[in-house]
Amino acid sequence: MALPKRIIKETERLMAEPVPGINAVPHEDNLRYFDVSIHGPAQSPYEGGIFRLELFLPDDYPMTPPKIRFLTKIYHPNIDRLGRICLDTTGPPALQIRTILLSIQALLGAPNPDDPLANDVAQRWKDDEPAAIQTAKEWTRTHAMT
Amino acid sequence: MSATIPRNFRLLEELEKGEKGLGAEACSYGLADGEDMMMSNWNGTILGPPTFVYLQPAHRVSVHENRIYSVNIHCGPDYPDNPPTIQFVSRVNIPCVDQQTGKVDPSKLPCLAQWKRSHTMETVLIELRRYMALPQHKKIAQPPEGSTF
Repeated sequence: MALPKRIIKETERLMAEPVPGINAVPHEDNLRYFDVSIHGPAQSPYEGGIFRLELFLPDDYPMTPPKIRFLTKIYHPNIDRLGRICLDTTGPPALQIRTILLSIQALLGAPNPDDPLANDVAQRWKDDEPAAIQTAKEWTRTHAMT
Repeated sequence: MSATIPRNFRLLEELEKGEKGLGAEACSYGLADGEDMMMSNWNGTILGPPTFVYLQPAHRVSVHENRIYSVNIHCGPDYPDNPPTIQFVSRVNIPCVDQQTGKVDPSKLPCLAQWKRSHTMETVLIELRRYMALPQHKKIAQPPEGSTF
């Protein structure tokens, strides 16, 4: 299967100029499927953790955005129990692997419990933010530091 | 040739389809454990097909109608390159189901025997329902409704 030039270029650039704190490597048997790891940002409840994600570029990428989800369990108001991510969709679509990974890293640094995601974590974040942050730190230690 | 969707994203698509109820009305499925990041174990249900057997004029019996059959579905690490394994929880007497364990014999169900990557859990559930309604199967006596393996 021929891989579109666009994807080859993006992959080459990710390898040559990696984003600090983010690592993305395509699978050898599926060059549209990436193993990703993101370091929890400093000063966030996720600091010190390394979070694994998976990313897939669908057939009609970049017309449709990459599919991405966390494989590491994470306590975050915009990420559900299966690792699915609710990214802010008010801005222009993040139609590059690099930009979508940066926006996820930013989301770790700035959890947004007002985002309309039906999620018990978001509710807890609003009701008792210090307790929610404490839980997020504990989950980071348990799941993202092993 | 189109992109090969990896296992987990394929299962997420199936999950979303199952949650929205976009599939066939006679079958449903969902995650057994909503926190299982690997999405390996699923629960499925099949609404028994309305197959009528005419015993005598004006007397008809449907052995499956109105029954709800529960199945466990397991999607291994190599799904959807390889088919899921299916095990009935509800007792059902059809040739593709082991009468001791409830396991579906993949060699006896065409969609499993000739598995394609495009097949889904829904494909399997719909075919099991059709299988129950085949002329050679619809007359087989069934265990009491609600009994389990």
